Amino acid sequence: MAESKRTGIARRFYGKADGRSRVSMNRLKILVTIVNRAKADFYMDHIQSFGVNMQMVVFGHGTAPREIATAMGLADSERAVVFSVIGENHLRAALDSLAEKFNTIAGGKGIAYTIPMSSIIGKSIFNFLSDNRDAVRRNEK
Amino acid sequence: MSGFNHEVILCIVNNGFSETVMEAAKDAGARGGTILNARGTANKEAESFFHIAIQPEKEIVMILVDAKIKDAVLHALYQKAGLDTMGQGIAFSIPVENVVGLTPWKTEPKEGDKAAEKKAD
Repeated sequence: MAESKRTGIARRFYGKADGRSRVSMNRLKILVTIVNRAKADFYMDHIQSFGVNMQMVVFGHGTAPREIATAMGLADSERAVVFSVIGENHLRAALDSLAEKFNTIAGGKGIAYTIPMSSIIGKSIFNFLSDNRDAVRRNEK
Repeated sequence: MSGFNHEVILCIVNNGFSETVMEAAKDAGARGGTILNARGTANKEAESFFHIAIQPEKEIVMILVDAKIKDAVLHALYQKAGLDTMGQGIAFSIPVENVVGLTPWKTEPKEGDKAAEKKAD
């Protein structure tokens, strides 16, 4: 019974009769942030404050020529690429804040961009990734 | 800022070929990239059948470019680091939105404009 109730909620909010779900509310995006490795933890903590529940960091190194790298304030070439799953509702605030941090923090220059996510499977995972705490509370009742 | 004006090109090559990739990409107009170390997997049975050794150590070169030069960069990568070369590279692009932090890249065309103006003078 609980199962059918849950499915009902899913259909009402995210489902379509043709079997292909369309999410019209709060689409998810992958926010990719490339920063100096020393600043990775700082930026990850900062991004987390925008309703981001899952982040992944990959370490790499940059290839920008020395002159450009220095101009960008990136003295060493060790980089961190942070992948964060973020809801569209938080995106604007996160990007504005990141842009401001890139310009103001010494050695904190970086690049950020988003990749739209087209599909995701699993309602609880969607709720987790979009920080949809109300939906979880509703299901628990 | 929004809209698909930029593309991120991902090029997966054998270890040690990221410089080849970057050189090719820069010739086609790209500015910089990020190299990630990765490990590739291949079908072991197919590998022995075709007598091809797949080097598992890979490098992924991530290059953020203007959508206008994406095709040129991809063509350059295909020719200089494609599957027929030692780099055995695979390249593809993903459209991205909301790019922030690219300001230093925009200064260079302005300098070019200034140079063009000087020439005009």
